[in-house]
Amino acid sequence: MNPRGADDSSNGVPDASGLTRREFLRAAGGVVVLFSIGRSLEAGGGGSAPAGTVADFDAWLRIGEDGRITVFAPTPEVGQNLRTELAQLAAEELSTPLSSVGVVLGDTDRVPDDPGVCASSAISTIGLTVRQAAAEAREILAAMAAERWGVPRAEVALKDGRVVLASDPKTAIGLGELARGQRLVRRLKQPAPLKPRAEYALVGKSAPAIDGPAYVTGKAAFAADLRLPKLAYGKVLMPPCLGAKLVRAETASAATQPGVIAVVQEDDFVGVVALRPDLAERALRSIQATWEEGAHASMAALYRGLRASAKLEERLGVRGDVEASLAGARHGYSASYRTPFAAHAPIEPHAALASAQGDRIVVYAGTQRPFDHRKAVAEALGMSAGKVRVIVPAVGGAFGGKDAPDISVQAARLARAVGRPVLLSQSREEEMSWNSFRPAAVIDVRCGVTEKGEIAAWDADVFNCGSRGAEPPYTFPNQRVRVYECDSPLPQGRWRGLGGSANAFAREVHLDYVASELGEDPVGMRLRHLRSDARMKRVVRAAAERYGWEDRRPPTGLGAGFACAADAGSCAAVVADVEVERSSGQVRVRRVLVVQESGLVVNPDNLCNQIEGGVVMGLGLALQEAVRYEQGRILSRSFASYPIPTIREAPALEIVVLPAPDSPPQGGATAALCAVAPAVANAVFDAIGRRLPEVPLAPVRLRAGL
Amino acid sequence: MAETARPIVIRVNGTEHSLGAERSRSLLSVLRTELGLTGTKYGCGSGECGACTVLLDGQPVRACTTPVSHADGRSVTTIEGLEGKDGSLHPVQQAFLDVQAFQCGYCTPGMIMEAVALLRKDPNPTALTIREKMAGHLCRCGTYSRIVRAIQAAAAKMRK
Repeated sequence: MNPRGADDSSNGVPDASGLTRREFLRAAGGVVVLFSIGRSLEAGGGGSAPAGTVADFDAWLRIGEDGRITVFAPTPEVGQNLRTELAQLAAEELSTPLSSVGVVLGDTDRVPDDPGVCASSAISTIGLTVRQAAAEAREILAAMAAERWGVPRAEVALKDGRVVLASDPKTAIGLGELARGQRLVRRLKQPAPLKPRAEYALVGKSAPAIDGPAYVTGKAAFAADLRLPKLAYGKVLMPPCLGAKLVRAETASAATQPGVIAVVQEDDFVGVVALRPDLAERALRSIQATWEEGAHASMAALYRGLRASAKLEERLGVRGDVEASLAGARHGYSASYRTPFAAHAPIEPHAALASAQGDRIVVYAGTQRPFDHRKAVAEALGMSAGKVRVIVPAVGGAFGGKDAPDISVQAARLARAVGRPVLLSQSREEEMSWNSFRPAAVIDVRCGVTEKGEIAAWDADVFNCGSRGAEPPYTFPNQRVRVYECDSPLPQGRWRGLGGSANAFAREVHLDYVASELGEDPVGMRLRHLRSDARMKRVVRAAAERYGWEDRRPPTGLGAGFACAADAGSCAAVVADVEVERSSGQVRVRRVLVVQESGLVVNPDNLCNQIEGGVVMGLGLALQEAVRYEQGRILSRSFASYPIPTIREAPALEIVVLPAPDSPPQGGATAALCAVAPAVANAVFDAIGRRLPEVPLAPVRLRAGL
Repeated sequence: MAETARPIVIRVNGTEHSLGAERSRSLLSVLRTELGLTGTKYGCGSGECGACTVLLDGQPVRACTTPVSHADGRSVTTIEGLEGKDGSLHPVQQAFLDVQAFQCGYCTPGMIMEAVALLRKDPNPTALTIREKMAGHLCRCGTYSRIVRAIQAAAAKMRK
């Protein structure tokens, strides 16, 4: 059964009644190319795979008998517009119109197992393999046409969705016609040659988002928008604070509330299913629950607690002798940087709809990790994973925050208990309280500078935020980065760029600090130490030039700040112009320039869109976002108590993407995002001479120093 | 009691609906669960994000904090009611599409409804006015500069 709102044509939500992968390989006609993402192509074994075998591939591409091309890939669409970019890449290699390509993402029955691709770098990992598979399909189709006409392969070419005979362009055959009656399943082995860049017609063009029409008409179906016959609505009892354990719950009165179908209690899980969401909520409120409260984490102890629980996890970029170099340095500069917990705060709260169908359970969940959800649902319900299907509909923002499978497990428990489909969607308060956060971090940096003003030693201790972006792009002769795992008082998880934003903040602010202490220009300082990183050097130079860095003369109260960062394969340099109101300490970011290099640009406008969005999110981290909590209770539970950037604060943006078409496409949004907070902090220093080692750069903190 | 038993009558996108819903229920809940109009989104439930914006007699309101009784006898337009009879997009929808003023698309219906109301009142808004009027609408993907551009583009088209 297929929910209303879920169909392939509107927004790519797969049809639950459609063929599964296994069935598809057995039954489907046409030409299918199987391939592996992120694995060596040779490793997959070569030759033709018999139809029906399902092993060792993570994605596939099919040319149907109707000539339609479908790409199946694991990473869900969460607003990064992966669907359009993959369609562009496949259509390009097959020289077929973009409209003839469909992309199915995030359906555990129809896409292969998730190789753990994260959204920010999906285009680099999946993109290349999709191109190669499409190139392989092109070769297969060309060979079939050549054989049919009795000519060598070199005499045929693909054009506008057909194979054409070069010597006589009137002789042509559609891809669908070639695929008709075929049951050809080919495993990609040696990569077929990719189309030369000079012949690109679609890649590098700003094709509009395939999902766009569904978004602007309200037809895009997010998990909470799906409707099934006899759909009921769930609500789950949540603890009063983190780590609390349920002692007992009096549910008798809830069960008799109007519209209540059932109160479900399984161990310490308590949920209500009702005919309407508001009735479920009302009934839930009438449950008298007794809790044993857990450890009462409070913010005041955050950074102290991280340090106290630190265990060395890894050492990175170790070079030379840091201790000796620090001891012998002419100048030493140390500082400790702090970044707080941040919330993903997607506008769409977590939601899942579960429906038991025979001995199977189908869960529609707004998640980035459908395979994790499948596994968790199967384990919680004591089913085999093969009996659970997770389908990802449209997702209203994720940012790394829609990983944990709790919502799917809860919906599945309720659906199984009542024997009808159940939709579970979190309230804003639940969304902000019961999901993961971006790790808070403490980063200690010590550096030693020689008499000539060279940074000879760089020693960083990174607490709790992990290693992403922790190794500097600069070449310091003596260097050591130690990454420590800590006990986090709040549940934490992925967040755009992971630790990259905290690590970039510490590094880029510290570099600015050293430059100002030495009386050196911050851009010159960066360029001098970017010895081996040519890509970063290129974006830094281009940004300084574009901005007119050397000639800048900011008036009093205004400042400009510079920072650079690499993430998800991209390099970005950011210049921020700020205005600081001395009386209030209020920082206003007036303009942000981003110069970025992301390899081959598949869709320039989409890349700009992603960068722009990353900048806005980076501004939130720079100026306002910090999750507050006391006594194990999250206090940032609404947009009023956790304000995110609004259109009012959105600065003028200039995005420059440097061409690098010979390197593979790279992730879009996060490199610039990571550089925004340090650029703003450096600009605030430029404006008022005050440097804060901590975000957010809140007025109360800045005022304290004026 | 007789008073509360009287059905609520609302005209939604031109169609009249007689509802037995409790008067205190939110308009958003009624639109989404009773009428199946899921283009209007829940984002916060307290009027802070704008995702649930609909037009009530042409005025933008937050459906999540509007009791359905408030819409009794009145006319509601949701995102589903913006397209022309021939399926053509409203100029604001078209402009959001042309400018690609979205990423995940979740806040988009609310943004578009507010922009439609704004342009009815002020056919030629400055960028500053747009920012002021749209300030109650959150886009976590951060597509704000595009939203300003889209509304300006729609305004230019509608003035023609």
